[in-house]
Amino acid sequence: MNLSKSALTTFIGLVTASSASAFTPAASRAAHSIATRGRPNVVIKAAWSRGASHVSGGTALKANVLKLTEPAKDLLPNVDVFIFDCDGVIWRGDSVIEGIPETLAKLRSLGKKMYFVTNNSTKSRAGYKKKFDSLGLSDVPAEEIFSSSFAAAAYLEQTKFKDSGKKVYVIGEVGIQEELDLIGVNHFGGPEDGAKKPDMGPGCKMDHDPDVGAVVVGFDRNINYYKIQYAQLCINENPGCEFIATNTDAVTHLTDAQEWAGNGSMVGAIKGCTGKDPTVVGKPSPLMIDYLCEKLGLDRGRICMVGDRLDTDVLFGTDNGLKSVLVLSGVTSEEKLLSQENTITPDFYADSIVDFFVDETVAVEAEAKA
Amino acid sequence: LPNVDVFIFDCDGVIWRGDSVIEGIPETLAKLRSLGKKMYFVTNNSTKSRAGYKKKFDSLGLSDVPAEEIFSSSFAAAAYLEQTKFKDSGKKVYVIGEVGIQEELDLIGVDHFGGPEDGGKKPDMGPGCKLDHDPDVGAVVVGFDRNINYYKIQYAQLCINENPGCEFIATNTDAVTHLTDAQEWAGNGSMVGAIKGCTGKEPTVVGKPSPLMIDYLCEKLGLDRGRICMVGDRLDTDVLFGTDNGLKSVLVLSGVTTEEKLLSQENTITPDFYADSIVDFFVDETAAVEAKA
Repeated sequence: MNLSKSALTTFIGLVTASSASAFTPAASRAAHSIATRGRPNVVIKAAWSRGASHVSGGTALKANVLKLTEPAKDLLPNVDVFIFDCDGVIWRGDSVIEGIPETLAKLRSLGKKMYFVTNNSTKSRAGYKKKFDSLGLSDVPAEEIFSSSFAAAAYLEQTKFKDSGKKVYVIGEVGIQEELDLIGVNHFGGPEDGAKKPDMGPGCKMDHDPDVGAVVVGFDRNINYYKIQYAQLCINENPGCEFIATNTDAVTHLTDAQEWAGNGSMVGAIKGCTGKDPTVVGKPSPLMIDYLCEKLGLDRGRICMVGDRLDTDVLFGTDNGLKSVLVLSGVTSEEKLLSQENTITPDFYADSIVDFFVDETVAVEAEAKA
Repeated sequence: LPNVDVFIFDCDGVIWRGDSVIEGIPETLAKLRSLGKKMYFVTNNSTKSRAGYKKKFDSLGLSDVPAEEIFSSSFAAAAYLEQTKFKDSGKKVYVIGEVGIQEELDLIGVDHFGGPEDGGKKPDMGPGCKLDHDPDVGAVVVGFDRNINYYKIQYAQLCINENPGCEFIATNTDAVTHLTDAQEWAGNGSMVGAIKGCTGKEPTVVGKPSPLMIDYLCEKLGLDRGRICMVGDRLDTDVLFGTDNGLKSVLVLSGVTTEEKLLSQENTITPDFYADSIVDFFVDETAAVEAKA
């Protein structure tokens, strides 16, 4: 494997030394159901097969990554459904990216369907709807939003967790709790455990509920030892207790100014005391795509994933038989995309989704000049 | 006994259980010393320094054990930094962990900060906010920390990801440990797992079963590995530490491992011998005495 150290960091959030497993999309997708445990995965195979060039040494950029210059010909006629990552595509932190509302309106007028997927579990779909409204995107209904908090609940619904009568212990914030309420699953933990400290004097033990049938771990800025120990006891001592992670992103732009440690840390803490790998419901796990395609009867070949991260967004697309576009309006630079170390190749890349109508703009400008 | 000059004892489950010394231990250690055997006491628990552990040994009636015979993983982390001449770099250490690590770093004169006082901190995460971090941190040392929080995780993430060459050192990676007698508690595997999860990096592990402490001992003391015996109650840290490093190994059943687990088909780690406890190092003596009686 011709990966340099910096390429390995591209896969942060996916690779752990003890559990890296190759995911083979073609072979396993047929057998892949919602109930299958998603593993943090590294797909070198898909990228290699797309003809990524690997000239050894030198700093020559790759020549075979296509910029989107004729979307009206190359993209729009071939796609019925767009799946947009949110941060770095639609907004940056708390500000909508320039031109987005108009672009989405144009896509809707062309009859395109769209969904908005985010690995951030801190809000529910309803919570994110409010963010969309505040950014002038009130056309987006909650049903088009797929937060990883919703994905966790969708997974539990599809696996009929409620029928077990068991409870969920939540490491995470209100988004997960709200989504579990919507599907009628009993849960506890969450923010209120942020202030708890276990008594660790001689002879002390922490009591835990034997009816916890799943621990759901999402981003939690109030992670503490109480929560880690509670989750450890549930997963190690309750027979059949599931370990579910909303996502495993190593870092994320929680504020515009910095990369902040992401849910990869919360999940890493629970992996570290249980030795178990979680079922991951967020990107790049196939779960949300399988859910969408099954529920809505979509043709994968006519779905396009659009995102700003290679290792979660584009990989999510390429792993699942979707088209993919990388936009440079978020965390990935053109240099990083085209570097020899990058092995993840989208179908196209563009500065932002505004460029989905770039030939229109060009035509208008040309006409104006004439 | 004739084939071993040096014993390396794990502490919890071999010498003590929680806060009580195991029956017969003081006499057994005294007998071993009278036979001219050398001994060292190794623990993956980084919360105390060697000096801190000396106090525990004293309180359990084992005041014959000097601090120099105690190898806590807090000491191991400092020993590693000393061997790699970290002090010459002039850089600092950011500590996730408790006072044991801080005390050992003080003893080798390495500049450090973090530790327990960061347990009360919460970063400001409002719009446009960032956590400032010291660009002179050259190593993050992660040890068991019951006050782990997001501030510490983010601080460590920034140091490891943004300070060129910043090391990521873990005192140990035990998943669970008997912090109290009554229960298995999440161990440093969780703190280390959190930092792995936000950096994608593997730490340098200084505690068992990493060879570091053995290499240090053998180099500093000129010991012959084939005549060293590791004694412990855990297969995956203690016995493996022995077998991986060319030492003899004995598993004792006075701690967390049962005879059933040791002898089960699924277990792949085999010590040279096993015994109920180290008191049995003189079991033939006892049997002979009983037979005579």
